[in-house]
Amino acid sequence: MKINMPVTDKEVHMKDGTILVTRTNLKGVITYANDAFVEISGFSYSELVGSNHNIVRHPDMPAVAFQDLWESNQRGEPWTAPVKNRTKSGDYYWVEANVTPVYSNGVIVEYLSVRYSPSREQINSASQLYKELNDSKATTIRPVGFSKLVKQIKETSINKKALLTAALFLTPSICLIKQSYETQDMLHLGIIAFISLLAIGLGYSILSSLLNTLSDTQGIFRKLSDESFRNEIELNRNDQIGDFKRDLYSMQVKLNADLAFSNQVASESLRIKQALDNVNSCVMVSNNNLEIIYMNHTVQAMFENAEKDIQTDIPKFNSKKLLGANIDQFHKNPAYQRGLLATLNSAHNAELKLGSRTINFVANPVMNDDGDRIGIVVEWMDRTSEVRIEKEINELVTSINNGDLSNRIELADKEGFFENLSIGINELTDGIDATFSDINHSMQSLANGNLNNKITSEYKGVYNDCKENINATVDKLSEIVGQITESADFINNTSKEIASGNNNLSERVETQASSLEETASSMEELTSTVKNNAENAQQANSVSTKARELAENGGEIVTSAVNAMAEINDSSNKISAIIGVIDEIAFQTNLLALNASVEAARAGEQGRGFSVVATEVRNLAQRSAAAAQESKTLIQTSIQKVRAGTEFVNETGSALNEIVTGVKQVGDIISEIAAASLEQSQGIEQVNQAVAQMDEITQQNAALAEQASAASVSMSDQSQTMIGLLDFFDINASNNITAPVINQQAAPSPSSHSPSKVIRKKETTKPVENNRIVSSSEDDEWGEF
Amino acid sequence: MEQESPIDTEEENLENSIQFLSFTLGSEEYGVAILSVQEIRSWEPVSKIPNVPSYEKGVVNLRGAIVPIIDLRERFNLEHSKYTNLTVVVVLQAELRGKNRTMGVVVDSVSDVMHVDKNNIQSAPDFGTKVSTDFINGLASVNDRMVMLLDVSKLLELEGLNDTDSNDESND
Repeated sequence: MKINMPVTDKEVHMKDGTILVTRTNLKGVITYANDAFVEISGFSYSELVGSNHNIVRHPDMPAVAFQDLWESNQRGEPWTAPVKNRTKSGDYYWVEANVTPVYSNGVIVEYLSVRYSPSREQINSASQLYKELNDSKATTIRPVGFSKLVKQIKETSINKKALLTAALFLTPSICLIKQSYETQDMLHLGIIAFISLLAIGLGYSILSSLLNTLSDTQGIFRKLSDESFRNEIELNRNDQIGDFKRDLYSMQVKLNADLAFSNQVASESLRIKQALDNVNSCVMVSNNNLEIIYMNHTVQAMFENAEKDIQTDIPKFNSKKLLGANIDQFHKNPAYQRGLLATLNSAHNAELKLGSRTINFVANPVMNDDGDRIGIVVEWMDRTSEVRIEKEINELVTSINNGDLSNRIELADKEGFFENLSIGINELTDGIDATFSDINHSMQSLANGNLNNKITSEYKGVYNDCKENINATVDKLSEIVGQITESADFINNTSKEIASGNNNLSERVETQASSLEETASSMEELTSTVKNNAENAQQANSVSTKARELAENGGEIVTSAVNAMAEINDSSNKISAIIGVIDEIAFQTNLLALNASVEAARAGEQGRGFSVVATEVRNLAQRSAAAAQESKTLIQTSIQKVRAGTEFVNETGSALNEIVTGVKQVGDIISEIAAASLEQSQGIEQVNQAVAQMDEITQQNAALAEQASAASVSMSDQSQTMIGLLDFFDINASNNITAPVINQQAAPSPSSHSPSKVIRKKETTKPVENNRIVSSSEDDEWGEF
Repeated sequence: MEQESPIDTEEENLENSIQFLSFTLGSEEYGVAILSVQEIRSWEPVSKIPNVPSYEKGVVNLRGAIVPIIDLRERFNLEHSKYTNLTVVVVLQAELRGKNRTMGVVVDSVSDVMHVDKNNIQSAPDFGTKVSTDFINGLASVNDRMVMLLDVSKLLELEGLNDTDSNDESND
C-alpha cells in the first residue's frame, strides 16, 4: 500500500456546494479531475491525470476501506464513505466519497467519483472508526460478526423479507385458524383463512408490481446513464407506481432537454473556440490551477516562434507540450505568479521577459454565473519589436536625460510609423543638441572668463528666450564684472589704506601703552612724592609751630629790647640835659673869661697876667664847651641811633608779629598742604586705577587694532585675490556691451593694471608679515606689561 | 708853636696893636674895641619900652643901671634870629659929648679877644656893606677872616638915643 508522506495536522475544508469529481479507469488511474478537485488536492491537473488515485491517499485511511471500495466497485456496486484525503503539501481534507462504476453498453468502463463536503458528525464517527480499524488491523470495514449478521438480515432481499413478513403475519392467522379449528369455529376460521389468503395474494401482487417497477426502472436508469433518453415508460397507471413512472419520465425528458441544451451550449462553446482558434490575438485559457486548458493557433504559433528565445530563460520550455501544462512555467518565480493569479479578480496586465522576447499578457478571470472564478483567460502579445523601438527611444531619452546628445535612433531597420517617429525624435535631438552646443560653447567661454562669446544662432520660442537670456546674462555679467573690478580696485586701495592706518593705529596704541606705562610709573613716583610731601608738610608744620614759638619769644625779646632802648633814650636825654648844663656853664665861663679879658685889657699892663689867665680860662671854657658840644652831639647821635634802634626793634617786633601770624598761616597752609597731599594721594590712586584701566583698554585697543590690522590686511589680500579673480574675466574685447558699461570698464581697466597689482600684492605681503611678527612680539611684551 | 710866635709878636707889637672883641652877626664877623666893652652878658629877658624902634628891645637893670638893649641884627637890617640862652648881649660904653653912654647890643655870639695891628686896619670902603659905613672904623683881616671894626661911639650915636643920654646923665 502506498503511504504518502509527510502529513500535517492542518485541515483544508471543502467549500460548501462544490463537488469534487474524478474519473478513473478500471485500474484506478485518474483520467479526469474537475477544477475543484485539482484545486483542493494541491496537485496540478497534469500531475493528477495519469496518476493512480492513491496519490491523494492519506496514511490515516485504513487499507481495508479502499479494499472494500474496490471490492464494491468490482462487483459493480457504488461505494460511499467519509474519506480523509491528503493534499500535495501534506494537509488533509475530509470528503464524503461516492464512487460508482460507469456502464457503457452494460459493461463497466470506468469509475466515477463524486465527493461532497461531509458533516462534522460524519467526520468524527469516521475518524473514530478508522482509528479503531487501524488499531485492530481489521481486514474489512464491513460489519463482522453480529453486526454482519444484522446487516445481512437487513439486507436480505425483498422477496425473502416478504416471505418472512408473510410468514410472520400468517403465524397468528394460522394460530387463530388452528384455534378456530380446534374450537370448530369454522366461521372464524373461514374468515381468517380468507383474509390471510387475500393478504398473501394482495401482498404478492403489490410486491411483484413493485419489484417489476424497480426492475424496469433499473433498466431505464442504466439506459439513462448510457445517455439513452428515449425509453418507453408507462404513464397511464393511476397508482403510486404510475406517479413514480411519470416522475421518472419527466426526469428523462428533463435530462434529455438538459443534455440537448448542454450540447447546444457545447456547440456554441465550440463555435467560440473555433473562432478563438482563428483570431489573430494570442489567447490562452487556464483553469483555476493555472493549467493551460486552451490555446488558440496564434498563441501556439507565437510560442513555437519564440520557443528558442524562451528556452534561453526557461530551458524546459516546450511549445509542443504547453496544453495541459501549468502556466507557472512561464515564470521564474512561479510562487509569486501563482499567488497573484490565485486571487485574480480583475484584469491583470503584466510583461514577461523571456530571453530576448518581451511578451505582454493580460490575464482576466473567467467567472461563472454565480460569480465564482472558473478559470483565467490570458491574452498574449509579443511586443518584442515594439519593445525594441521603445527601448531604443528610451535609451535615447535616457541618454538625452543624462546629457548625452550624440546618440540617434538607427533608421535602417525601421519602417512606417516607427521610422517617422524615429526621424522626428532624431530631429528633436539634433535641435536640442545644436542649442545645447551653442549654450555650452557660450557657457564654457563664460566659465573661462571670456565674456565675449555670445550665442549668435537663430532660435525660436523657448530656445530663443534661452539664447536671449544667456546673452543678457553675459552682458549683465560683463557689466557687473566691470563694476566689481572697479569696486575691487577701490576696496583694494581702501583696504591698503585701512591696513596702513591700522598699522599706524597699532603703533600708536603701542606708543600709548608705553606712555601709559611711563605714566603709571610716574604716577607711582608721584604717589611716593606726594606721600613725602605729606610727611614733609607735617614736619614743616611742626617746624613752623616751633618757628612761631620762637618768633613769639623773639617778640617778647624785642619788647624788652624796646624798653631797654627807651631807658637808654631817657638816660641819653638826661645826659644831654647834663651836657646842656655843662655847655651853659662853659658858655657862662667863656663869658666870664671874656669879661675877665675885658677887665684885664682895662687894667692895662697890670691886667696882662690876668688877661693870660682869662684867656686860659676862656680856652678851658671853650674846650669844655666844645667837649660839651661834642658830647651833646654824640649823645644826640646816640639818642638818634637809639631812636632808630627803637624803631628797628619796633619794626622787628611788628615783623616778628607778622612772622608769627605768617608762621601761623604757614602752618595752616602746611596743614592744608598735608590734607591736600592726602587727597592728592587718593586722587593719584584713582588716577592710578584710571591709568590701569586705560592701560587695559589700551591693550584691548591694541589687540583690536591688531585684529583690525590683520583683518584689513587679509581684506587687502582678499581684495587682491578678488582682483586677481576678476582678471580672469575677459571683457575688454566685447563690443556689444552698452556704452555706460564700457565707460565703467575703462576706469578700472583691470587687464592693463593687473601686472602691477600682482607686483604690488607681492610687495605688500612682506610688510604685513613683518607687522605680524612685530605685533606678536608686542603681544608678548604686553603680556608681561 | 704857632701860639708862641704870635705871643712873641704880640709882645713885640703890643704897642702897635689894639685889642678887639669880635662877635658875629650871621656870617659876618664884627669887632669892637675891647676898651669900649663894659661887660658881656648872656641874654636875659628885657623890659620893653613902648614906642621905640623895633630894634630897641627894651631895657635891663644892670647892677642898678638901666641899660637899653638893641638888636644889632635888626639895627643892621639883618634877619632877626631867635634869642637863645647862647645869645649874648655885649654891653658897650662910650663917651659921647662928654657923657658916658652905656648900651647893650644883642649879637649872635662872641668870638674872641683879638689883637689887631693898627697897620692892618684898612679904612672902610664907601660901599659894600649893609651897615652904614658911618659905624665902621675899618676892616681888619685876622687869620684870613675879614672883621669889620665898628666905631662904638658912632654906633652909639647912630643909635639916636639922645633922650636916653640925658636919662643916663640924670641917672648919673
